[in-house]
Amino acid sequence: MDNEMTLTFLARSENEGLARIAVTSFMAQLDPTIEELSECKTIVSEAVSNAIIHGYANNPNGIVTVYAVRYGAEISVTIKDEGCGIENIEEAREPLFTTKPELERSGMGFTIMESFSDFLQVESVIGQGTIVTFTKQIMPIQTLVT
Amino acid sequence: MNFNLTMYPNDILIVQLFGELDHHETEKVRTHISKAILQGNVKLLVWNLEHLNFMDSSGIGLVLGRMRELRAVDGETILLNPSKTMQKIFQYSGLGNCVQFASEQQVILHSEGDCQWITK
Repeated sequence: MDNEMTLTFLARSENEGLARIAVTSFMAQLDPTIEELSECKTIVSEAVSNAIIHGYANNPNGIVTVYAVRYGAEISVTIKDEGCGIENIEEAREPLFTTKPELERSGMGFTIMESFSDFLQVESVIGQGTIVTFTKQIMPIQTLVT
Repeated sequence: MNFNLTMYPNDILIVQLFGELDHHETEKVRTHISKAILQGNVKLLVWNLEHLNFMDSSGIGLVLGRMRELRAVDGETILLNPSKTMQKIFQYSGLGNCVQFASEQQVILHSEGDCQWITK
C-alpha cells in the first residue's frame, strides 16, 4: 500500500460534494486524466447518494465512511454505511431498477458505477449496512502519448 | 450549483447549469424548471451543459422527470454540449440521441426553420 485515507461524515446530502472532493484530491498524486478523475468522482457520488437516500432513508444522523487506498497506479475506494442494507443486490444492480421512483431516482447508479470502474463489489447485510468497493487503474501518462 | 432559465417567445426553454449537479442540488432546481414548464407552453427544452463541471445519475432523474412533464405537450428535449463523462452517462440511460453539440443560437435557429432537424 502506498497511501490511504479515511473520511467520515454525517449522512447529509450537502456532504456528497465533500466526499467527491476528498477522493479526487487523493487521486491527484496519480496524475489521472480529466476523464478518469470525473469517472471516479461519479462513482463516489453515486455510492454516497445511495448510502444517504437508501441506506439511511435520509436520516441525517447516519455515518458514512469513505476509505481510499492506493497501490501503485491503482486506486481502491470503499464507501460504507450502517443503514438498512439491500434486500436483493442482484436486483438493485439491474439497470433502471429503483425503489424510489417518486424521488426521481433513475435507477442508473449501479450501472454507472460498474461501467466507470474496473471492478465493483457490493456487500450488504439487512439491518447492518452496505459496503461498496471499487478499483480503478490509472493509466500512466506516457502510455497515453505513445 | 447555479442555474439560469431563459424562455424564448416561440416555446423554447433554455436551462443553463453551472458547477456540479448531484442529488443535493437537483432538489433545488427541479421545482423552478417544472414551474416554467407548467406555466409556459414549452415545446423544446434545451439543457445547456457547457458550463456544468459534474453530473451523476441524479441528473438523469431530473432530465427524465422533465421529459415526462413535456410529454403532455409533445415537447422535445435537447442535451447540449455535455462533457465526455456525461455523454457516457446519457448513453447508458438511453438518452444518447438527445445529445447535440451546437450553440444555443444554432439550436434556436434550427427549431424555427426546420423542426425535422430536432425530431428524431
